[in-house]
Amino acid sequence: MNTARQSPAFLPSRTKSRAPWLSIVTLHQSRSAMPTSEELNEWAQAMARAGDRQAFAALFKHFAPRVKSYLMRLGTSEPLAEELAQEAMVNMWRKAPTFDAGRASVSTWIFTIARNLRVDHFRRQGNRAVEADADEEADLPDLLPQPDEQLHIRQREAELRQAFLQLSADQAQVLRLSFYEEQPHSQIARELGIPLGTVKSRVRLAMNHLRRLLDGPER
Amino acid sequence: MTIQHHPDDDLLLAHAAGRLAGGPAVLIASHVELCAHCQRRTTELETIGGALLEELSPEALAPEALARTLAAIDAAPVADAVVSKRARQAPRRRPALPDGVAWPRALQHCSATPWRWLGPGMRWSRVTLPHDAAANVFLLRIGAGKQLPEHTHSDCELTQVLCGTFHDGRALFGPGDFDEADRSFHHQPTVQPGGDCICLASVSGRVLFKGVIARTLGALVGM
Repeated sequence: MNTARQSPAFLPSRTKSRAPWLSIVTLHQSRSAMPTSEELNEWAQAMARAGDRQAFAALFKHFAPRVKSYLMRLGTSEPLAEELAQEAMVNMWRKAPTFDAGRASVSTWIFTIARNLRVDHFRRQGNRAVEADADEEADLPDLLPQPDEQLHIRQREAELRQAFLQLSADQAQVLRLSFYEEQPHSQIARELGIPLGTVKSRVRLAMNHLRRLLDGPER
Repeated sequence: MTIQHHPDDDLLLAHAAGRLAGGPAVLIASHVELCAHCQRRTTELETIGGALLEELSPEALAPEALARTLAAIDAAPVADAVVSKRARQAPRRRPALPDGVAWPRALQHCSATPWRWLGPGMRWSRVTLPHDAAANVFLLRIGAGKQLPEHTHSDCELTQVLCGTFHDGRALFGPGDFDEADRSFHHQPTVQPGGDCICLASVSGRVLFKGVIARTLGALVGM
């Protein structure tokens, strides 16, 4: 784990207080309102390669409030969401050596970290008797695409985001609710005033639509 | 292995969003770990999750949050702790599987009972999830040519085929295939010649067997 974070020979080895002037993050960047995905990506790589703490702080500033928002939307109380958001950022630092810009964007990577932390936390809560086991990683797969697929993923991500913007309001809504609202599908159905089967088929339509936009008709 | 049957988008979405209960989650995970197609679909869904994360309106953290987080990072030498914890773990109880059939990675932290008799040519094993004691997950091992009693489900049954093949009246299911059945369908899976069929199954709600004897049997084993 440590070797991946070692600094190149021409930089001082990583210490607790890395000199701020060695960070790739300028003060201007860390203050700007909305970092670009290239900036986020550079920060994550600087954190992964060199343990750059200012890069970490910049990522924290951008993502911790969004992770907290995510947790609260899914029904977590404010104090617990605060605690878990901080824990998610600790996990982000620890998992930094596994960040692979060729594999996923920073936001996708952090989404999976926050999601797994949330799942783990509630599993631990749900079953105190087996606490020793439960702080294992969630069963959610840590996917390792084949090398030839990795090349396509970044490109595909950008396309997927574009495609998402082209979904109908209904379709985008049902995906948004699935990720970021407390209710399960049965409740989403009640909320939108449509039968459960319609939620399912709307999810399917939304995904098919996305794939069509990406690939042309279903292969 | 060519996988023909995959989970629907809504199940895969619920899994990617981290919103499935323990039982369904291990079923989906046991499928996705084998299936490149569903790995790609999951990656797509996670990308949408990431893009939507960007969209959320931020919730301010406590003023000292960053300092606390940095302190937590400095405090914990994690790597060693994780290794020793793994090493400590006792081997888990598991029923024997035929040669060449792998225990799903999704079940690596689960224990399961030895094979128990369920009927002629039929055995089953209860799987216990460490994080969800209430989950109703089991393995079924059915001999070639045998038929499960006709049944339907009060809610939903998910099945992942580990080995062998069965036909459920609609389609043929082989290793790696995933099936979702609900109350709309009375099914009576028949195992095809060529060897035992072993499936991992998760049931929410009760399995409703059709005949009195089958019902009694189902009640006995807690299905």
